[in-house]
Amino acid sequence: MVEIFTSPIVLGLALLGVSLGITVGAVPGLTGTMLIALALPLTFSMEPVSALVLLVAMYVGAVSGGLISATLLRMPGTPAAVMTTLDGYPMARGGQPGRALGLGIGASLVGGLISWMALWQLSEPMAEWSTKLGPFEYFSLVILALALLAGMGESTRARGLLAGGLGVLAAMPGMHPATGELRWTLGMTAMNDGFRLIPVLIGLFAIGKILGDLTGEPGEVSRAKGEDRAWVDWATWKVQFNNLLRSSGIGTLIGVLPGVGANVGSLAAYMTAKRASKTPEQFGKGSEEGIVASEAANNATVGGALIPLIALGVPGSVIGAVLLGALIVHGLQPGPLLFKQNPEAVHAIIGTVLVANVMMFGLMLAGARWIARLSALPQKVLMPGVSICCIWGAYALNGQMVDVLVMLIFGVIGWRMEQARLPLAAFVIGFVLAPVAEEKLCAGLMASGGSYAPLITRPLSLLMLVGAALLLLRKNNISASAASS
Amino acid sequence: MMILWGSGFLSLASGFPDKPITVIVPFGAGGGSDTFVRIFQKAIRDHDLSPQPFVVKNVDGAGGTIGSRTALGAEPDGYTILCLHDGIYTAQHYGNADWGPADFEPVAATGRSGVVVAVAESSPYSSLSELMSVAVRRPPQLVYGTNLGAPNHYSALFLQNGKDGARFRFTQTGGGAKRFNQLKGGHIDVTGFSVAEYEQFKGSGIRALAVLGEEREAALPDLPTAKEQDVDAVHSLMQFWWAPKGTPPERVAYLEDLLRRTMNTSQVKERLAQQHYEPVFHSGEALRAVIRSRSEDLAGLKIKPLDSLPPLHWLALGVVIVCGVWVWREGEIR
Repeated sequence: MVEIFTSPIVLGLALLGVSLGITVGAVPGLTGTMLIALALPLTFSMEPVSALVLLVAMYVGAVSGGLISATLLRMPGTPAAVMTTLDGYPMARGGQPGRALGLGIGASLVGGLISWMALWQLSEPMAEWSTKLGPFEYFSLVILALALLAGMGESTRARGLLAGGLGVLAAMPGMHPATGELRWTLGMTAMNDGFRLIPVLIGLFAIGKILGDLTGEPGEVSRAKGEDRAWVDWATWKVQFNNLLRSSGIGTLIGVLPGVGANVGSLAAYMTAKRASKTPEQFGKGSEEGIVASEAANNATVGGALIPLIALGVPGSVIGAVLLGALIVHGLQPGPLLFKQNPEAVHAIIGTVLVANVMMFGLMLAGARWIARLSALPQKVLMPGVSICCIWGAYALNGQMVDVLVMLIFGVIGWRMEQARLPLAAFVIGFVLAPVAEEKLCAGLMASGGSYAPLITRPLSLLMLVGAALLLLRKNNISASAASS
Repeated sequence: MMILWGSGFLSLASGFPDKPITVIVPFGAGGGSDTFVRIFQKAIRDHDLSPQPFVVKNVDGAGGTIGSRTALGAEPDGYTILCLHDGIYTAQHYGNADWGPADFEPVAATGRSGVVVAVAESSPYSSLSELMSVAVRRPPQLVYGTNLGAPNHYSALFLQNGKDGARFRFTQTGGGAKRFNQLKGGHIDVTGFSVAEYEQFKGSGIRALAVLGEEREAALPDLPTAKEQDVDAVHSLMQFWWAPKGTPPERVAYLEDLLRRTMNTSQVKERLAQQHYEPVFHSGEALRAVIRSRSEDLAGLKIKPLDSLPPLHWLALGVVIVCGVWVWREGEIR
């Protein structure tokens, strides 16, 4: 594996890929998928190994770059960085933008390395494990995640539920995730796919934030100078050790599942970290644990997502599919034999996950001092630039003006929700998880002939549901004891 | 002579194409359709077959209907075309698109891919006739994983129609990788793959029972067809190129000729063979006949309405209304 990365050209490509990836990741609206699709035709004229290195490096960079705008501007540069906004931004606003970035960058590295280990050593058993989950297990997994979520943020339970419900509602129009029938499209073809994740997220967070800043009192926009250090000492990492391991593990496991991406991974890790925390009240106000959990998990999904490709030759994720496509165009035969016949290709993919994560760490840490100063830029310089990026990004997503419109509408919704103190995070969770839950429940019911029984007769599903029930009960106990004391 | 020279002059003067040609792929980057188009894109560039390159534009979503709708409304100037397989027929038949093949100017069909019926390695069924007899004896118990409304669902419907009294329990599973995952894990009993998908997955714990072709597949000479096993089911996936209605005929002709020349390069032939596409090429009247017959095949299929599923969308609306009132009351009290 090592010999591939002694070539300066390959190293240069990895560096180029990571830098480009970080850049598109940091810009709200531009995503790694977009960058990779653009780069794909350019890789046709390259050696297969170089092409794979470039594409994987871009993917790693893009997942990592999202934390920059999430932390400094409260705008998730990629969907995977939504949970990072919750604590990264308050910490940056509190005068520690450098430290917030440093925590995110370090956690990203650890998440990347742990998932790389899994990819390198455990890919076969983990791929095997992923086939054990059927539709009912997926559904129970979502219920478990929702139970973790109960009591998210500082707002009242009613507000959390309302925001989550609105998120679910926003996910409903378009094609039914299981039956493929159209629902609530008002007869508009543009609505066949419903509201897409990217325009909704940029709208809620970025446009909503801009509207809020425009209409907010001027006193509110005082900013940090951004001169604190991004280097985080060992003592902090020691405290975060369990959190890092747990979040990276969750991210890797969720990454392996087909059709569930980095955003769900970081969601689950964040909510678990909050549950496990001794200071859950700090979450949402600049908690170090929150930043670490979200960023460790989203980078960990990268290695996880590649596991089905390496172990079985099956593309379990968007990046897996793109890499497989690149292999085919280059004339390599995909399948389990691919990796016996072309070990170089496997080594290139696995090695790049390692190399790209290390490069990402170096690049972002070195740049953090300067990047952190972004938060000291005056609003009137920053906001027009960000707005243009958002509109461009929403349009570039699919070349459809509708997406820009959707983004603007959700911008207004996000702005009004914040005024009504409805938590945006709960909205996003509802929006992201509802289609997964609905698809899997309906698929399960179709397979069982309409019977709900497998939810409790299948051991893994039962286990997760019992876990969810325990979490909910414990939560009530805590609030009861808090009320009595 | 003058006329020939004249027409040559005209096409030279009109200068088509003088800018890149956008090919809309209605699926994501890296999928089967995307890879298929990119094989053509690369060959056109490598062999200098056209003064202007193909540019792939992925417009994915809603089973390909967002992309095909975009192509439907594109400027009919030959600079925007669509590459879409049988999904264009099935989306219309399933009711998810009120447009179909008849609303486009067909350019060419380039390549046909067989469909394989597969079970898990550990499955008790060793042949298609065995599986189908269970589907007749105990209907509907066998769970067939599909992507509802997509060509893969229709393969399954053709298979079910191929034997009197056979009934499957269709469930939503998704694309090829997800169907493989669920088949291997034993969550579904049977599913269909394209030959290319099957070749990718076959070493990892699944096996094929039949191919739904008129003849056996070159790559799988030992695998009998459904017809050989007394099941009258034939289905395959064909890749079609479509131009918006009203595209000038000489531009359609240019594109058709470009695709034919690309198809004839050894590079495309090799890549398509690797992807287990049979290198058929249809254009003109033959193409129209193929399109007519594929539409007619579907017209005879009836889709049984699904059993009632929980109306989660109304449930969500209810929760929002209740919580809305709750939050509003809370606000009042304060």
